[in-house]
Amino acid sequence: MGRVTTTWLPGLPAGDTDWDRFAALWPEAFDALAQLVAAAWAESDPVLLELCRVRMATLLGSPAEAARRTQRARAAGLDDEKLAELPAWPSSSRFTDAERACLALAEQFVADANGVTDEVLAAVAGHLGPTGCYAFVEALSALEAFQRTCLTLGIETVPEAVHSPNPELPW
Amino acid sequence: MVTPRIDLPTGEPNRFGLPDTTGLAPAITAARARIRKLAHRRGELDPVTTELVRIRNARHQTCYF
Repeated sequence: MGRVTTTWLPGLPAGDTDWDRFAALWPEAFDALAQLVAAAWAESDPVLLELCRVRMATLLGSPAEAARRTQRARAAGLDDEKLAELPAWPSSSRFTDAERACLALAEQFVADANGVTDEVLAAVAGHLGPTGCYAFVEALSALEAFQRTCLTLGIETVPEAVHSPNPELPW
Repeated sequence: MVTPRIDLPTGEPNRFGLPDTTGLAPAITAARARIRKLAHRRGELDPVTTELVRIRNARHQTCYF
């Protein structure tokens, strides 16, 4: 997305996106955050994570992040019709049991992590296995950190490469 | 020793008494470690303010670690 929107910080260098402009000032920090996001994608099912990423963005009030689409989820078969029905996931027949379990966890995680119950975790673990559940929670945490950072700094536009990094990276 | 709510294949507890989960999501663990090291190395974060924010956040999340 070649558009810049950040206005609150004067003197930001030029760049194709808000992210690029901040990254030009603090390259190590933004590269580290991008690597965290890349790691989250590398250790998760792309469709499950994309559904939860978009849902978290909606709940956090980030229309830019909610509107963004990641290539790896699209390549894995997630279409726009299903994403359009995301607000109705509890009752929509488009969503699998595994997707419902993960979405329930993601919603509670972003609203109040302390309110995540044993039952919600067990439902996810029932589909992903205990280790998969652990990795999924870590991935949710990474994407939540990314989204909250962008929201706080006013970063709306982000290069596609942040969510769809080079598959030849070591993870 | 904290007991995980999901039955994780962890080994001995680490020095904080927490299950050692470093091998369960290695890429994310490595990326988080890089961020921590970077923040520490830059030394731009005032430790008192950082601690106050950490405790305040923990109270918001009802987390008593």
